[in-house]
Amino acid sequence: MSPVTPSRRSVLQAGLAAVAAPALIRSAFAQDAADLGPYKSAKIDWRQAAGESITVAVIPASYFDNLVTLAPQFEALTGVNLRFEKIPPAQIRQKSVIDLTSKAGAYSTHAADPMYYALYAANKWVEPLDGYLKDASLTDAAWFQPDDIVPAWRSANTIDGKLYGVPYDGEVTIQVYRKDLYEAKGLKAADDLQAFVSNAAALHDPNNRVWGAALRGVAGAGQNVYIYSSIFREFGGDWMKGGKLQVNGPEAEAALNWYVDLMRKYAPQAAQNWNWPDIADAFSQGTIATYIDAHSSASVVNNPEKSKVIGKVAYARWPKGPSGKRTTSIWNWGFPINAALPEKRKKATWLFIQWAACAETQARTAHKFAGPAKRSGVNRVSLWKDSDYVKLMKGFGDNFVEATLESLQQDTDVDWRPRVPQWPAIGDTVATAIQQALAGQATAKAALDEAQRRLEPMMRG
Amino acid sequence: MNKSAVAGVVAQGRRALHRRADPARIMEGRERRFAAALLAPAFLALMATTTFPLLFLIWTSFYRMNLSMPFMDGFAGLDNYRELLADPRFWQSLGVSLVYTASTVVLQVVIGLALAVLVHGMRRGQGLFRMVAILPVVLSPAVVGMVWRSFMLAPDFGVVDYLAVTAGLGSHNWLGDPTLALVSVIVIHTWQWTPFAFMVLLASLAALPDDIYEAARIDRASAWQSFRRITLPLLRPAIVMVIIMRTMVALTAFAAIFTVTGGGPGTATEILNLYAYRKSFTELSIGYGSALAVALLVFTLVVSGVLFALRRAK
Repeated sequence: MSPVTPSRRSVLQAGLAAVAAPALIRSAFAQDAADLGPYKSAKIDWRQAAGESITVAVIPASYFDNLVTLAPQFEALTGVNLRFEKIPPAQIRQKSVIDLTSKAGAYSTHAADPMYYALYAANKWVEPLDGYLKDASLTDAAWFQPDDIVPAWRSANTIDGKLYGVPYDGEVTIQVYRKDLYEAKGLKAADDLQAFVSNAAALHDPNNRVWGAALRGVAGAGQNVYIYSSIFREFGGDWMKGGKLQVNGPEAEAALNWYVDLMRKYAPQAAQNWNWPDIADAFSQGTIATYIDAHSSASVVNNPEKSKVIGKVAYARWPKGPSGKRTTSIWNWGFPINAALPEKRKKATWLFIQWAACAETQARTAHKFAGPAKRSGVNRVSLWKDSDYVKLMKGFGDNFVEATLESLQQDTDVDWRPRVPQWPAIGDTVATAIQQALAGQATAKAALDEAQRRLEPMMRG
Repeated sequence: MNKSAVAGVVAQGRRALHRRADPARIMEGRERRFAAALLAPAFLALMATTTFPLLFLIWTSFYRMNLSMPFMDGFAGLDNYRELLADPRFWQSLGVSLVYTASTVVLQVVIGLALAVLVHGMRRGQGLFRMVAILPVVLSPAVVGMVWRSFMLAPDFGVVDYLAVTAGLGSHNWLGDPTLALVSVIVIHTWQWTPFAFMVLLASLAALPDDIYEAARIDRASAWQSFRRITLPLLRPAIVMVIIMRTMVALTAFAAIFTVTGGGPGTATEILNLYAYRKSFTELSIGYGSALAVALLVFTLVVSGVLFALRRAK
């Protein structure tokens, strides 16, 4: 082989280098050049826990993926090693409870279900955060502006006046409907539950593969109960009647009957086992006329790669119930601090929480994010007024921003679900009752009475 | 001290002396210690991962331990078991477990045996058939559950639903109707595990002596007669073994049902194992959940004890 002839290996090497170089340069550039200025204006020592390592459990969802992408910025800012672990939503509650109860400290913080704070607080598994918020060496309140975080979500994470988790991303449930189908029949978004049913009836045409409506059917405290709770409250139900848990009674029966009736008559049969992604998928294929679920599902029905209904979607607040009320969900993924950690790691965890929940990071994971998936659940009231962000959100369809904001401000109800340590058991029992009624295994009354009978012994003490 | 006792002590002393003097015995002792040292790690690991958790489970079942009410925790004696006997959902889940176990085991043995007899007579393609048949067994039950749930049984989209519509039976909500859901999980378990029964029975069938069948042919026995009078009795030990093994597995099944129905709709497919899981890890009532698990253990032991006794009896 003559020296001038390039060998196959050298060609491959050069080729690989040429391909890899821009990527390497870009990533190095991104890390060096990420502007940490907005963070450094906070009057705290970001590097006070340098050298610590923390692990954060999150769910595989785009709003957390965006945060994961920014992890190098946090590491550069604080010198704290940050590792993420992704756990599917169906398992994250159990995994974190097992970690907390064993005091192993595997997860310094995790994406927490707001309904679990009562349980966490009763067992002293997580730290009350007011101390961290007041400590001037840890938090620059003027910079962090905790009061700017959506009040409904903060109150959902507060037990006995103490905040236990800082909301990172959240949602409300709203009506999502097909503007084109509604207009063709001269219908309007439902103002009350009755109108919601009549709209569904008017558009229900399964022979042409359009079903009138769909709600979550799959059993679970965070699935069918998530939607049922709003209906229950709109029918005038009260979870803690006279301080005592009550899941049955005339209001509960009426609410469950309304839900079962709608699902049986106007939803696809399979919806009985559907969670929100299934509903949003079906809607984006044009087979569902309307549904009520999280406003964040708008990103699924507007996915340009999969959706066939882009430009045909509009939104509205929950329909009113017989009690005259609208009740939306107050869901958020928040970050608590694991009480089993050593002091220095608690500080490192708090720095992470402050970084993730501050306005700058919220913006960088939303409208300022470089990737395709933008967040629709930012935790800052101020961001919801930011023109760049609002412009981005308006792209999801008619009335999206208005319906979301009005729901967030007017339709939330702190007693939407019973906030007691026994919630996991209550949620699961009610979820089973709802599904029993939906499947025809029992009548609404029998299923709810049975749930009440099972729950009573759990509420002693 | 009486005479015989004294004699005993003396004999012991003499034996000890003798032992000390005997090199072979010394070697034997060393070897035994060496063997024990080799065995110890595995034995300790086994104790730590199986025996200890089991004892801990039983211990826990005597306590009131509820993560959502930590202030009520304490020794409960037999309270959990008393509660269990009065719990209709326990009895219901036990009933579902029984139906599930009995029907899957019977179906596996009958279908497995029929397939074995059929394939045994095949001259060509036996190897291929065996290989295809074994495929479901090597799949993880969770994967099997997901495939059936989303690909086979989904109304409007699933393969089974399509076949049912084509056959004029109409579309059904296979996992949404209480009875159909139970039938579905039974069919799934049978689909996955029949090949196991089939393989065992086929191997036993191949080991049966030809001369008996030859004698039967000479006596002009019909095919049914030789199956009934020769094959079945000779296969009996294998069949009983299959029944015992499959019963124990079916009673403690979990993953496939968990992924397909999660015990639903309502509680229609909630076997005892699933109820214990839900009590412990969803409702966080660890004490009562442990009692349910112990009840399942006792039940499994009793059933397999009965089966083993039947096997010995004849």
